[in-house]
Amino acid sequence: MRKTNILCLIVSLFIAMAVITGCSSGNSESKTTNTGSSEYSGTTFVLGDTTFNAENGEPDINPHNSYSGWACIRYGVGETLFRYSDTMEIEPWLATDYELVDELTWKIILRDNVAFSSGRNLDGQAVKECLEHLVENHDRARGDLMIDTITAEGQTVTIKTTEPKATLLNYLSDPYGCIIDMEAGITEDGIVCGTGPYIAESLETDEEVNLVKNENYWNGEPGFDNINVITITDGDTLTMALQSGEIDAAYGMPYASYPLFENEDYTFSSCATSRAFFAAMNYESEIIKDQAVRKAIAMGIDKEGFVNRLLDGNGYPAVGVYPDTFSFGGDAVTDETYNPEEAMALLEEAGWTDSDGDGIREKNGQKLTIRWCTYPSRQELPLLAEAVQATLGNIGIEVVINCTADIANVVSDKSAWDVYASAMVTAPTGDPEYFFTTHCLDSSVANDGSYHSDKLETLASELAGTFDADRRGEIAVEMQQTILDDDAYVFCSHLKMSMISKSTITGLSAHPCDFYEITAELAPAK
Amino acid sequence: MSNYVIKRLLQMIPILFVITFLSFGMMRLAGSDAVLAQMQNTGVVMSKEVIENARAELGLDKPFLTQYFIWLINILHGDMGVSYISNKEVFPTFISKLPATLLLTALSIGLTVIVSIPLGILSAVKQNRFTDYFIRFCSFIGNSVPNFFAALLLMYFFSIRLNIFPVISRDITLKNAVLPAITLSIAMSAKYMRQVRATVLDELSKDYVVGARARGVKFSVTLTKSVLKSSFVTLITLMTLSIGSLLGGTAIVESIFMWDGVGKLAVDAINMRDYPIIQAYVMWMAIIYVCVNLITDLSYHLLDPRIRIGGDKK
Repeated sequence: MRKTNILCLIVSLFIAMAVITGCSSGNSESKTTNTGSSEYSGTTFVLGDTTFNAENGEPDINPHNSYSGWACIRYGVGETLFRYSDTMEIEPWLATDYELVDELTWKIILRDNVAFSSGRNLDGQAVKECLEHLVENHDRARGDLMIDTITAEGQTVTIKTTEPKATLLNYLSDPYGCIIDMEAGITEDGIVCGTGPYIAESLETDEEVNLVKNENYWNGEPGFDNINVITITDGDTLTMALQSGEIDAAYGMPYASYPLFENEDYTFSSCATSRAFFAAMNYESEIIKDQAVRKAIAMGIDKEGFVNRLLDGNGYPAVGVYPDTFSFGGDAVTDETYNPEEAMALLEEAGWTDSDGDGIREKNGQKLTIRWCTYPSRQELPLLAEAVQATLGNIGIEVVINCTADIANVVSDKSAWDVYASAMVTAPTGDPEYFFTTHCLDSSVANDGSYHSDKLETLASELAGTFDADRRGEIAVEMQQTILDDDAYVFCSHLKMSMISKSTITGLSAHPCDFYEITAELAPAK
Repeated sequence: MSNYVIKRLLQMIPILFVITFLSFGMMRLAGSDAVLAQMQNTGVVMSKEVIENARAELGLDKPFLTQYFIWLINILHGDMGVSYISNKEVFPTFISKLPATLLLTALSIGLTVIVSIPLGILSAVKQNRFTDYFIRFCSFIGNSVPNFFAALLLMYFFSIRLNIFPVISRDITLKNAVLPAITLSIAMSAKYMRQVRATVLDELSKDYVVGARARGVKFSVTLTKSVLKSSFVTLITLMTLSIGSLLGGTAIVESIFMWDGVGKLAVDAINMRDYPIIQAYVMWMAIIYVCVNLITDLSYHLLDPRIRIGGDKK
């Protein structure tokens, strides 16, 4: 009897522990969490988002922490001094104007009658405190902005940089540049007070952020009383949540789910972003040193086919580094078009022939085999590798794919690969300089293929010292054409970013820089 | 018995040491680190200086053994560290995920027991008749359907078509746990039905059952008082192994239902090379399996006193 009692006790304890902990947790969460609108008063908008999580560098909405500025600006909490227009040009936002006093000094005039959600007025002192805290705590911002001193006087802020910084306004428009009230501070949960149309009330990392309307917003009346942004990392769950009506809109929907929403009950908003899927050539590989091979690879990749068939139209075939939403992108440059016949002729001419009839070309006893390395965390990259394997195979180039999560180690060994395909945001700040300084120059941290061009180095120096936006665009075109003429990179496609919302919602629009999502225009459809 | 329990618990110390060292080493061999993983996720290139600063801040620039011993010393002081990704304390993060995992484990094991034991017995008793064939067919289907597919089917019917349960089950409530628990119990019930059937059939073929029948003992009495009791030793072994793996979390089901348990936490941590979280998870799993095995051994003795604990002959 005693033994039976002990057994019963163990089982009862286990079940009780599970139920009690389950129920108690449920009680605590119910204070803040609800996916429906029943707990809120007034109109509520629920957004399902795959990107709002710590893995993505967004554990909270504090712009001075990692990439959390993206959440701060996207969810309408923070705003920057300048912003990007639909054509990716810089325009004033919290600032009204600027003056370049000399190469190192920028005078920025702030908008009047803007207040933080804490009630404090936006003035030069508030901006100074915010930017000083930013460069003190954010490594990337410190390196980008190169701020020497900041002085404030009324509605004017004067920023002095340590060296000429033509892209200062671009960097100030990066999400980390959201102006927040440092007097109100940053809560333990990473909640900040911005000037945006919505105020963050509660936040749980990897779970959700709850926002309420900023009644004193300076730029119109926000359309919803409450907003609930929920992190949903699984694509199928996101799909079903939108189908069941538990969310009103979705960001990061899997391509395969799009047909379910292509009807009058839902609205799509799409645009090309500067996230590019591209291949970099390894100049330390003997085969790749042969320009005929590089050119043949560029001619042998069927970008249209990849985008239309494998991505089911959910992308844009790329020409150069930037999509055509940029004045210096799209057709501003020319690249090799898909031409397998010409590619084969080129290889024949260069001495690469298929003498043994196995379908793979040889030269001096060496087979034309390309080691194509990439990684699986971007769903498009393994598909691109397969597409390339098929189309280059047709012209006699064997492609051996190495798709690995340990890509950093593989790429660091220059003898282990010939072509490296990756996905990168080529113009996160809207300015062309970033891609070249990070990928193509002798000093670039991501120049994995050891590419070098004297012409490009000269143009890069000129770009760094040029403050005129039009001239910068011209130089960017020249720089792109240089790397394309060298066949050092092949740009395959640009990401098509789409947001899907119920047709009962208006004002949710995709933007080329992917920064602006929840705005005051977001409202219930009338 | 208490000496035996203490001895088994003390054995856990070298096990924990070896397992945490191995997991620490294997994650390093797998390559990449938290800084690079985050750079890849965001798609923005960081400068060498920023990468090196971030690595130094996390201690990733130190040699492997130094990193391990720092972690070990901290853990001996009760400090499990801070997540590389979320910057939050590992211990409260991990503990906050346990209620969901415990509730899901209890519910899915409960459902499995309720479904598999009666159906398994029925299948054995009705051997080679329609009922047996039908139950075995269902068991075959249940075993063949992957968890993620069962989850999506359940979600489609019960959440989208019938609107009974929510798609997003983030709040840890009994209602939200129903679909994930059913998903997990489908495959487990299918497996256990066959195990129960085989065990009961084996017992039914033994001499004591024939003898009981010859003495006129009712079949139902033989079944409940003798056959089932003997079968339980085998079943408890299987069940406890399942409890062990369920307490380790079920990443796919947790991800689909947004059930905030330790499985998803562990898989995310592995993807992002978040070593402090991975180490906490490995320790949790080691403790779970040692404890579950200990409880299983004790329950053997309780169910069948002929089985001696730890080979005790007294």
